[in-house]
Amino acid sequence: MLPIILLSVFGIVLLFLGFLKTRAVLLPAALLFILIALGAGFLEWNKSYLYFGDMLLINNLAILFSTIVLISAFMVVALSGDFLEDEMAQPAEYYAILLFSIVGAMMMIGYENLIMLFVGVEILSVSMYILTGSDKRNLRSNEAALKYFLMGSFATGFMLFGMALLYGAVGSFTLTDIKSYILLSHGRPSLLLYMGELLVLIGMLFKVSAAPFHFWTPDVYEGAPTLFTAFMSTVVKTAGFAALLQLLSVSFSAIYGFWWVILAAITALTLLAGNLTAVYQNSFKRMMAYSSISHAGYLLIGLAALGQQSRSALVFYSLAYSLATISAFGILLLVAKQHTTDGRPDESYSAFNGLSRNNPLLAFVLAVSMLSLAGIPLTAGFWGKFMLFSAAVDRGMVWILILAVLMSAVGIYYYFRVVIAMYFREGQAGRIRVAPFYQFILIAATALTIILGIVPGLFQNIM
Amino acid sequence: MKATEIIFYVLTAITLLSASFVVTARNPVHSVLALILTFFCLTGHYVLMNAQFLAAVNIIVYAGAIMVLFLFTIMFLNLQKEDEESKTTLTKMAAVVVGGVLLVVMVAVFRAASVAPYDPATYNTRVGLVESLGMVLYKDYLLPFELASVLFLVAMVGAVMLGKREPGDRHF
Repeated sequence: MLPIILLSVFGIVLLFLGFLKTRAVLLPAALLFILIALGAGFLEWNKSYLYFGDMLLINNLAILFSTIVLISAFMVVALSGDFLEDEMAQPAEYYAILLFSIVGAMMMIGYENLIMLFVGVEILSVSMYILTGSDKRNLRSNEAALKYFLMGSFATGFMLFGMALLYGAVGSFTLTDIKSYILLSHGRPSLLLYMGELLVLIGMLFKVSAAPFHFWTPDVYEGAPTLFTAFMSTVVKTAGFAALLQLLSVSFSAIYGFWWVILAAITALTLLAGNLTAVYQNSFKRMMAYSSISHAGYLLIGLAALGQQSRSALVFYSLAYSLATISAFGILLLVAKQHTTDGRPDESYSAFNGLSRNNPLLAFVLAVSMLSLAGIPLTAGFWGKFMLFSAAVDRGMVWILILAVLMSAVGIYYYFRVVIAMYFREGQAGRIRVAPFYQFILIAATALTIILGIVPGLFQNIM
Repeated sequence: MKATEIIFYVLTAITLLSASFVVTARNPVHSVLALILTFFCLTGHYVLMNAQFLAAVNIIVYAGAIMVLFLFTIMFLNLQKEDEESKTTLTKMAAVVVGGVLLVVMVAVFRAASVAPYDPATYNTRVGLVESLGMVLYKDYLLPFELASVLFLVAMVGAVMLGKREPGDRHF
């Protein structure tokens, strides 16, 4: 609860700091605010609280998901030094919107009432629409923002309709009330409940870009400024899956037999669509967009095979995915700035040619993050996949497991293309100057990825 | 049939007709006018449910402010000319199939669903009045109500940020 209040206030403070003549204070201020919120969140560790008449539930799971969101946000803000030099950028507004969007993400993580979920989803989505279009003079950014906005509002409409139907069936928006309604109905709940659940699921699956609802993802991720793409593909996904986990495990675990088939089909479709299309991309940024779809597929396995292991697996996977994705986008930001064609940064694979020669550190960071995304042992991504896959085995979903393993093999192909470009191709990449703090963030993320890959038990002890 | 029932059915018929005209009208201005009619009919429904405050707000906010914005935007955009269809036949077919399936599922669900009816004898007639609305809003739903202000703040900041004129050329 405290982080939500703090971040709302800090966002307003940041807007006022924007009046100052010097922009240099904005970045440290934003970082400090996120750190304070992170610390404040842990005050409620090991205590389970319900706030404001069953509106918000803060327990250890919610704190862990919030921590991942805050770490991602911290890293994204730390990599945003360029805004302070760019004349056109408005960093005060960007940081304020980022902080507000974390408020939305936290509401999605800890909601106990569907109204909270709706307001949270809207805060996060509206912030993302704005940040997507924040590169105002870039036509692709404009297009992406409009596309995201129109499709996102449409999906929100579905979700709202679903909530209305759930209310019609249950007479309450509270998750535990929905659960007790299902339990008391002796296996014959009103059909409105099923319809409502499906529509809410559709709305949420759109937000995490699962397969039949993923068509907006590549265009939006490619059009948005790279830094905000990093934010979108980590924070929105983490919060979205936390919200789905909360909804399915608290309210609908009693009718698991109804929804697991649908979710399993969507999982399979997402894995296929994300991985197979990613192979054909020539732009690294677009490949990362499809890779984020495929990772939504892996995360969905944890939901379709909802069980004891799902929670820790989803938390671990979100963390591993966020760390790897943000460091990959961080490197892309640096590399793409080096070559521009028609005033547009070069985001293709060939931009990475020969990166290892003059920039061994950057090449190593990107290689580790690619290995982690591909799920190679000794990186965090491997254990994330391992935990999700063993959750699937527990439920006896062998076919989904086989498909996921096959798709991971496909993933290795397109993740390794960039590694090969960096280490085995000739290129004229000069030495790239990296700010010390930027370098520190990249090294920290890489170190964490490797540490979690070698001793995943470290993390499980915290859970 | 009692008078309220007759009013209800008439209102419902007009609502459905005007709502379908919103989607089918070729001219966007006609669409907006039909949408205004739909909002007024919904207001009538609110009055039938003894929710006068919601009825008033619906007229002021939706039929008033939002529709004026809609009309302004349409006039600025000058959408009079007919746009040629950009959708292929395949897309249209797919859309019809998907929409049709959704319709069938919805109709099936609503036919089979049972919603507990209200007992007129014990129904709390003050439920839609502004007093009970305030009680719910500032007691039970205080937190989402307050946090909705964050949503509006984000939207305002974004509108100002995106709306400000920017020097320089556009690029791809």
